[in-house]
Order: sequence, then C-alpha cells, then structure tokens
Amino acid sequence: MAEQEDDKWGIAHVHASYNNTVMTVTDLTGAETIAKSSGGTAVKQNRDEASPYAAMQMVESLADEIRASGIEGLHVRVRGPGGNLQKSPGPGAQAAIRALAREDFEIGRIEDVTPIPHDGSRAPKGKGGF
Amino acid sequence: MSERSVSRKKDQKRWYTIHAPEQFGREELGTTPADEPDQVLGRTIETTLGDLKQDASENNTKLTFKINDVGSDAAYTEFVSHELTRDYLRSLVRRGASKVEAYITVLSTDDYRVQIQPVAFTTKKADASQEKAIRRTMIDQVEAAAEERTFEALVDSVVEGRMSSAIYSEAKTIYPLRRVEIQKMTLEARPEEVAAEEETAVEVDEDEVADEIEPDDEE
Repeated sequence: MAEQEDDKWGIAHVHASYNNTVMTVTDLTGAETIAKSSGGTAVKQNRDEASPYAAMQMVESLADEIRASGIEGLHVRVRGPGGNLQKSPGPGAQAAIRALAREDFEIGRIEDVTPIPHDGSRAPKGKGGF
Repeated sequence: MSERSVSRKKDQKRWYTIHAPEQFGREELGTTPADEPDQVLGRTIETTLGDLKQDASENNTKLTFKINDVGSDAAYTEFVSHELTRDYLRSLVRRGASKVEAYITVLSTDDYRVQIQPVAFTTKKADASQEKAIRRTMIDQVEAAAEERTFEALVDSVVEGRMSSAIYSEAKTIYPLRRVEIQKMTLEARPEEVAAEEETAVEVDEDEVADEIEPDDEE
C-alpha cells in the first residue's frame, strides 16, 4: 500500500462485545483519536447497543468526521472482550467493517487484537440456562 | 456543538510524516497529527513487512517502530519489535504435531539487549527429549548469532528469515520439522540502559545467598 500524497490512513479500533460496540478511529500510531462512537449513540435500548444495526448507524455518523480529517483509508483492529471472557468479537464487528467499506473508505489490514491470556484467572461461571 | 470544536482544534495540528529507520530504506510509514513536535516522540507505528517491501507475500510479519527523532514535519523511527501476526501463527498449528517454543534474551555486540522467540513446528508429535534437543539448538543458534552480530545485523537476520532457516537446518536432524519461524523479537534495552543497569547493579556473593537460604530449607 504505497501512500500517495494526501492519502492519509488511520486505524479503526472496533471493540465488539455482546453488550456493546465501541469504535474509535485514530491515526496510524494510535496516539491521536480522530473520532469515536459507541452503541448508545445510535440506539435507545440498552440491549440493542451491540446490534449490527447500531454499528451501521455509528459508522455513518463517524464517516463525515473521518473524512474531514483527510483520512481515506483505514486499517481495522477488531477485538472481542477477551481475557477470561469471550475470545470472539460480537455481532457489531462484522457490520461495522462492512459499513466502513460501504462508506467508501479503503480497508487495509483487518486484524484481530483480542487480548488472549497466557494463562490467567478462571473464566466466570455460566449463567443459568446456558 | 462539541464536534465543531474538535474539528477546529484539528486544523491547527501539524501532520508529521513518519519514516522507517535507515536499515529499512527510510520508507514512508504514514502520518500522525500533533500540536507539538514533542508529542510525537515515543509514539509507535506498526506496519507489515509486505508494506515496507511492496511484497504482499510477506504480510504475516508485523514490525513496530518507535519515533525517536522529530524534524520540522518528519519523524524518524527506530526498530522496537518484530512479530508474526496471530492468524498466521495459528494457521501453522496442527493437530498431532508439536510446537516447540523458546524465549531467549541476548546481548548483541553493540550492547543492545533483545529478546528473541523462535518457534518450531514438527510434522508429528515429538518426544519431550526431542523437544528439549530442538529447544537447545534454538538457544545455541540464537546465542551464537548474537555474539557475532550488531543489533542491526541481528534484526536483519531475523526479518529476512535467515535465522529461522539456520535453526531449521540444524534442528531438522533431531526430528522432522515442518516450519521454523521467529515468532517475536523485541528490543529490551539500548546500550545506555544496559550500561546504567550495570552501574547500579550490586555485587552479590554467591556463598552469602546460599547461606541465607539454607536455614529455611532445613526447617
């Protein structure tokens, strides 16, 4: 991916759990936040915060801000809750990436950055019925 | 409302172009915005080897660079770590085969301390003794390599894959290997830090330590 003039890249960090989706768009170093959003900004009900629909709405509201900063391409870092919780990203992750692509951002690398324990504490016990 | 104030702030920020170390041809890595040049120092940027070399087949290696020098609108970096991507490493793991890992901290000839983590995948399940032997050759190879190389040459041999193929050719006589890689390499301390550590280090008499421990053992 040779960087052309004025073709800035950024990183879209997508934290997708089963309860919410949090998106933060930063520059390539991850030090400067350009735009951020979470499920609560898109939907009213708490249980919908992790939904694909919420993710799509979030991306839509982020898109202008990202473009205003001159960023044309995004690398994506998805993560689930990780640690001793689920290792797989929630339902919002896929939708968010799709929506980003549909907003005409160039998508670079997609990487899973879920924190994986090198052996830590025991996972929480299951809730009844599961 | 708040959005507008954020964007106004952003206009004042300067974008700094980040360059790779000389070793990697001073390639442009990307850009980062900041109010003050000082803020750029210490930021890290991650790219793949494929990006640096314009070779998509090497996209399984991630390189991290840290900014250590800032010009008027350019920032210069140094190498801090080399890592295989998680999905690639996972794709190498097979059922019924062994994975032999080693973690080795070595000092290069120019006093950089680095940690190198080689990993080998066998074709079939290896015995513990064979795994041990493979690990031994890994450690010997890495230590030998570090003894005669500068930090830069060491990075080069890891990134180019020469170190992993050297380990492969040595260790394949012990047990058939499918693949050997250096899964991670990190810079732990620079010469100045190593020197500072040595200055503050206190000499400990081995006998004294043993004396202090022994009474506890007997009880």
